[in-house]
Amino acid sequence: MDRRKFLVSASALAGASAFGLPRMARADAAKTAVEAAKQYSGTEISIVWEAGLQSLDPLNFSGPMWEEQTGIKVKVIEVPTAEMFTKILQEHRAGTGAYDALNVIPAWMPDLVRAGALEPLDAMVDKYGYRDQLQTIAPVYRDNQMTVDGKIYGFPDDGDVFIMYYRKDVLSDPKIQAAFKEKHGYDLPVPPATWKEFDDVGSFISDFTDNKPYGATFFRDAPYAQFMFQERFRNEGGRFFDADTMKATINSDAGLKVFNDWLAENEWMPAGVQTWGFVENLAAFLKGDSAMTISWPPYGRWGAGYGTDEEALSWVPKSQIAGKVGYSMPPGGHPQLAAGFALSISASSKQKEAAYLFIQWLNSEETSLQRVQLPYALRDPFRDGHFESPEYKAKWPEAPEYLAALKAGAINGLLDLSLIQTDRYEEALRQGISRLWGGDDPQAILNDTAATWDGITDKIGVDKQKAAYTAWASKPNAYPS
Amino acid sequence: MVSGGGGSAVALAPGRLADRNFKYYMIFPAVLVILLIGLFPVIYTLIISFQNLTMMDEDTSFHGLMHYRALFEDARFWESLLHTFIFVAVALPAELLLGLAMAYLFLERLPGRQIFVALLVLPVVTSPIIAGATWRLLFDNQFGPINQILGWFAGEPVPIIWLVDPNFVYPAILIAEIWQWTPFMFLLLLAALSNVDKSQTEAAELDGASFLRTFRLIVLPAIWPVMAIAVLIRALDLFRLFDVVWALTRGGPGTSTETISIYAYVAGFQQFETSYTAAMAFVVIVILAVSITLVLRRLEIDR
Repeated sequence: MDRRKFLVSASALAGASAFGLPRMARADAAKTAVEAAKQYSGTEISIVWEAGLQSLDPLNFSGPMWEEQTGIKVKVIEVPTAEMFTKILQEHRAGTGAYDALNVIPAWMPDLVRAGALEPLDAMVDKYGYRDQLQTIAPVYRDNQMTVDGKIYGFPDDGDVFIMYYRKDVLSDPKIQAAFKEKHGYDLPVPPATWKEFDDVGSFISDFTDNKPYGATFFRDAPYAQFMFQERFRNEGGRFFDADTMKATINSDAGLKVFNDWLAENEWMPAGVQTWGFVENLAAFLKGDSAMTISWPPYGRWGAGYGTDEEALSWVPKSQIAGKVGYSMPPGGHPQLAAGFALSISASSKQKEAAYLFIQWLNSEETSLQRVQLPYALRDPFRDGHFESPEYKAKWPEAPEYLAALKAGAINGLLDLSLIQTDRYEEALRQGISRLWGGDDPQAILNDTAATWDGITDKIGVDKQKAAYTAWASKPNAYPS
Repeated sequence: MVSGGGGSAVALAPGRLADRNFKYYMIFPAVLVILLIGLFPVIYTLIISFQNLTMMDEDTSFHGLMHYRALFEDARFWESLLHTFIFVAVALPAELLLGLAMAYLFLERLPGRQIFVALLVLPVVTSPIIAGATWRLLFDNQFGPINQILGWFAGEPVPIIWLVDPNFVYPAILIAEIWQWTPFMFLLLLAALSNVDKSQTEAAELDGASFLRTFRLIVLPAIWPVMAIAVLIRALDLFRLFDVVWALTRGGPGTSTETISIYAYVAGFQQFETSYTAAMAFVVIVILAVSITLVLRRLEIDR
């Protein structure tokens, strides 16, 4: 071999080592899981999945595919989101072993781990060579939604993030732009980047178009709105607790501003918007009744008309706005990474290995890329490769912009508050929001909520909760940097 | 002989004893099952209420009255109890009066009576959570027909947000609850009224007695046992009211419509305050047991 050939061969080998071989190794994660799982052929594993559209993924797609490849049946246990935590913990306490694999909202993970309900996955991750592929999960999910106290308890599997969707045709309408500038003295921002701009634009459009369309609509029902509050409160500079004393600071000026702004916004939004949930807001946006909204990623796909011909999505109103929707970060620039799902294994499962192999296969680069493109299943892109996928980018004309917005969200997103017994804090917040819609005084509500939070903290133990909060708040995506 | 006679008497005694106790042997299995089903959970609840089982700790050591003390200081507990009493106090008389009025209406042989009765009974056989979800749609301020119908009468859109506005949220829940369970009262009272001796009411009518006087002195005593049982059943049902409120408001706005059952569910199965919830359940059991005993004595139907 002459020197030139040697250099070329060496370069090729180095290139392959740098790019090709790790990719091949990573690509083997799905195959490895399938090959290893064949020893369990003929058995059945169960997986807890959110009821409704979400569960169509394992019911219609991944479950049958896994059975075909491994001979293992998958029993899908559908549970409404609001009951998933309860059911998982109840089954664990009862020690029934009824659940093998689990879908877990990452903010619950510390509580479930403390209760001993989740199986640590590190040993199996190493045994089946999955560690490399975990590195291609977007950092915000990988670094914040996968481990508790340094151990892996779940694979982030859903890139839930709030994105702002806006009607490019409405916001860029020259008549609206001219009239807006005349009234407000500055160019109509497309899209609005601050909440002040958002409120100026939204109220102006409602007024100018006589509510056809409304300037904006939101889901305001408390279970959804509590995520919106968490996002906006932090974008307004709010902090949930005093880090030294662990006293709740939700009743600060930032909290009051959010509540007061919400009440003011309701005046130019549809009557009864306080009761709107995911579906009501979706219907209004897809029908073209709203110029701006903020929601989870499916709005973007369905707004573009992607996959809405599927029978499972027959309830989704036909989009009247395809091709007219822009995607951006919500005002403030830091969207809520609201909820999301991670795949975990129940500590009381009697088939941990088989269940683990199933979730490795589901979560692998290869399988997950197919799953996030299922139009009906609500799993959103969460891996670097998903955001850059040429296949996904070709799904509709604006898909590259959509994926870019999701990618930006995965960088700038804010984590859901996650403490010991998080749901108790969130419950108090939900009740506060429903009182706001009931007409109570915003400051009084926030003071009561803060007092309730303090009571919960005292009951759990200030030092214990302070340690949990400090760990959470030290993460780069806990508060806007 | 004597000894023989005595021996005979001694030999007969166990047989008689066995005869006398036979009835107890027969009912013992049933009583045991009932005790296991009924009493065991109560005792178990009481034991747990003295421990400290929570989401994080499975502490089964004795903690005395810790949770009972906390319960008496828990404003949310007392408020939820108050809300429950409000629902009982309003819905129970309303269901009774409406059920009675409907029973009177259907006492006469009207054309299509059987069909109407069958239709009226439909709400009772509907699952309460489904009934609640249906009423949620009916009360929807955007798509629900109730605001639309009210708008026809008002001549302008009626923007009532039934399940959010504190002025309307109780009426909304009560409407749904009364709609569902009035037919239950109606059925029982119709059966009771059908058995009232008509010769007595006709005689009273001929003697010129007013309707109210006839009802008070003849009809009411005749239907009283059935009515009392119907009221008791419904009162107990209303005391554990959950589904309709959960479907409509989940106890909101805030906790303003939260019943004791909803609070117990939230504390027990969402927050996993198991021992605290057990204490709550035991206090409710005591309240109900005392109330029922007093009511039964008062009504004199326990004899």
